[in-house]
Amino acid sequence: MVFSSLTFLYLFLPLSLIFHYSTKNDLFRNIFLTVFSLVFYAWAEPMWIFLMVFTALFDYSTGLYIEKKRDTSWAKVGLIVSISVNIGLLVAYKYGGFIYDNLSYFLPLPFDRPHNSLPVGISFYTFMVISYVVDIYRGEIKAQRNPLNFLMFISLFQHLVAGPIVRYSQISEQVEKRNVDWSRLSEGITRFCIGLFKKVAIANVAGVLVDKYLNTQLYSLSSYESWFGIVMFSIQLYFDFSGYSDMAIGLAKLFGFDFHENFKHPYAAISVGDFYRRWHISLGRFFRDYVYIPLGGNRRYQDRNILIVWFLTGLWHGANWNFALWGTYFGVMMVLEKHLKFVLDKTPRIFKHGYTLILIVFSRAIFYFVDFNKLTYFVGNLFYSKHSINAGFLSDITTHMFWFILVVLLCIPWDEIYPTEHPLRNRIALQYAYVRPFANVFLLVLSTMLLVNATYNPFLYTRF
Amino acid sequence: MDKKINVFLFFALVFGFSIGFIFMPKADISNKEKRKLATFPTLNSENYLAGIWTKQVDKYVDDHFPFRMSFISATDFFHAAKGFQLEHSERVVVLPKKKAKHQEKTIDSTKSQMAFLDEFEEKYAGSMLIIDGCVYPMGGGSPAMSKYFADMINEYASTFKDQRVFSAVAPLSSAFIPVEKYAHYNSQNKRTLLAIKHNLKGGSIFCDIFNELNEHSNTKLYFGTDHHWKPLGAYYGYVAFCKAAGLDAVPLEKMTQKVKYNFLGTMYQHTQDPTVRDHPDTMEYWIPKVQTEAFKFGPYTTDKPLKTKVFYESSRGGNTYSTFLGGDEPLIRIQTGINNGKKAVVIKNSMGNAFAVFLVNHYQEIWVVDFRYSKHNLTKIIKENNINDIVFAVGMYAAMSNGTIGMMRRLATQSGVYVPQNNPESHDPNIEQNQHLDSTDKE
Repeated sequence: MVFSSLTFLYLFLPLSLIFHYSTKNDLFRNIFLTVFSLVFYAWAEPMWIFLMVFTALFDYSTGLYIEKKRDTSWAKVGLIVSISVNIGLLVAYKYGGFIYDNLSYFLPLPFDRPHNSLPVGISFYTFMVISYVVDIYRGEIKAQRNPLNFLMFISLFQHLVAGPIVRYSQISEQVEKRNVDWSRLSEGITRFCIGLFKKVAIANVAGVLVDKYLNTQLYSLSSYESWFGIVMFSIQLYFDFSGYSDMAIGLAKLFGFDFHENFKHPYAAISVGDFYRRWHISLGRFFRDYVYIPLGGNRRYQDRNILIVWFLTGLWHGANWNFALWGTYFGVMMVLEKHLKFVLDKTPRIFKHGYTLILIVFSRAIFYFVDFNKLTYFVGNLFYSKHSINAGFLSDITTHMFWFILVVLLCIPWDEIYPTEHPLRNRIALQYAYVRPFANVFLLVLSTMLLVNATYNPFLYTRF
Repeated sequence: MDKKINVFLFFALVFGFSIGFIFMPKADISNKEKRKLATFPTLNSENYLAGIWTKQVDKYVDDHFPFRMSFISATDFFHAAKGFQLEHSERVVVLPKKKAKHQEKTIDSTKSQMAFLDEFEEKYAGSMLIIDGCVYPMGGGSPAMSKYFADMINEYASTFKDQRVFSAVAPLSSAFIPVEKYAHYNSQNKRTLLAIKHNLKGGSIFCDIFNELNEHSNTKLYFGTDHHWKPLGAYYGYVAFCKAAGLDAVPLEKMTQKVKYNFLGTMYQHTQDPTVRDHPDTMEYWIPKVQTEAFKFGPYTTDKPLKTKVFYESSRGGNTYSTFLGGDEPLIRIQTGINNGKKAVVIKNSMGNAFAVFLVNHYQEIWVVDFRYSKHNLTKIIKENNINDIVFAVGMYAAMSNGTIGMMRRLATQSGVYVPQNNPESHDPNIEQNQHLDSTDKE
């Protein structure tokens, strides 16, 4: 199930809210939330639910074991076993086919290619349980005693499918007991409506244009259209992912949880490093805390560490070489930025912003095209194409003109330009408070309308 | 206070729609989409574990959401608000291919099995050009593919030496886009159809429909909101056929002219483009002054004829093109008041519907076979009824697809049952049903 579906919005969500708020008993609330989360997960993947439950129970046990054996070498053994099992499952289910393809290129393999479908959310919950056991090992958190509570933490439907990667330390108290007041509910609703709007009215609209300009015969594209297509993909990717994170954060608030921010206006970044401090923050922090720093961080072999982290970050996004290339591309950019810091520090902000945007948009091509032949052809097209502009390109620009303006406005970091203490912001916030409920209704109704419209499925001939 | 209002309004909306969904009456069909709406799926372990049941529940919720059609209609405002359309500007819409397997689960009968082979969904899926509210496919066929269609016609000509076999392929509307820079589609259509002509042999007869239409291209020959030709275009197709068959085409003035308004056809249904919506088609059509009696048959046999009509004058709205023969039926037999003993078989897709109705001017009996839906053995029909002429009246895309060409080829040998015909008295209850549907299809 996804948040941006009618089934979720108008059946699952109201039912889960009714059950959650039908009692004030924290145990019952946790039971209801766990059951609903499992139903949510099983909606898309009935079979893979066993894998997820196994992972949760396994790491619940290893967490207790590591805590019990802390400061002994058995704790380290427990940690290694836990990480090995979790990474092993991730590799087997996510990268099995990829590894097979690469090995069979060099040597004949005596077994068939694995054809597992990817268990939904496995990349997210695997990192959550790894951070959990490592934090216990480091003595930063206490292990959860109640298996139900731990299963609920792992399976919470708010973050299960597309993150953010929530660390146990962030919500350990809320797992036990949650307080919900009008303010938190209202904040959650506003955040959810904004996220839904970003997904349905921005990302999905951009997705149609992406399909039109990238999922086509590339030789028929002009350079202008190629750039247009890849800019649209950049918009789709950001609004899709950040919209989903907004919805997750909003939904978490509705049930009494506080998730950390996952995006902070990434397209306003002034360097590639800055970009990744704003984009998918929970993933960046995971790699920083559990890979980069243990490798030596900036104390030794920093360039190597950056490249390793970004190679892994790339592979985390997908089991294909283009993702590894994409990650390495950013690793190289960050190393270069580090060595050219003395030049970049003197560069005007507008130029830094410009070069960052170009590098980011360009990187989307590597992310989009899984096929290397298509990728090289497309990259060539970005700089030179014999083909002239196709019919309808101008019309696509004019018919989306106001939408483009809205997209730009939504990418601007208004909260950084007008920080909390700014008088203008306070004045507007005061007045907007009265508009907010109706703005949310508008966003929800508009999003619902677009979701319903997506169900329109006409046939040429009568199919009664 | 504003926070409480925020929470109250949100919950009121979410719970309101939920309650509406549960308690509001559910429709069985969507006339606008021309399809059955999803029914609530039966839960069993096999369906559930395969993830099918949950998908079907999603589909059920999607199809029965409160005020669904009102929401869909209201979406226009969002699309209009996204930007502005320059006057006379061109727009390209990409129509996605439908997923055939999923469709088959939701619909029944032989038609469903054929659905994915429909030449529209196979070929029209792709880029459509919209100019001044008219939709055109961006293509003009392939001269290379024409050989396969011509080969199939030639096989019929060599098998049925006592009959004349005609190739009457209609060009695409792209041949007549009224903008100079798209003239290459005109020549592409021409090259494709001439390639059919050059590959015909063994007595196969070519009807030069392109040339006939091209001579009248200053008038509107195709619908702007639908993928079919207008009856006037079909008439010029008929004129081209008459020239090839040595017949005198009946002038339009000697038929009864009628007109229907506000036709928003398939291209509007698929593109949902507001400029297309603002340019609905007007359909002028002509009814030959010939007495006719028609019977239709199911896909497999000819033992249960049901009475039907050559013109369904009550068809309107999205079904306006179903005026001709009541839409697509596997097999129709038309008997006319022309007592000249001449008989014809018309093998057609939907483009042939508007064409076939003009043939009642010249034949005593006409068998209209929809190659997509018919399982009848065409050889038996031709032999046992002493057919004189075999006419392949199809749109160009049907002649460009190995799938559809194969279906036309198989008609001659497939195993459907032919039962010798009497004039049955049975009456088709669907006539009333169709009329009812037609009259309610005003959306």
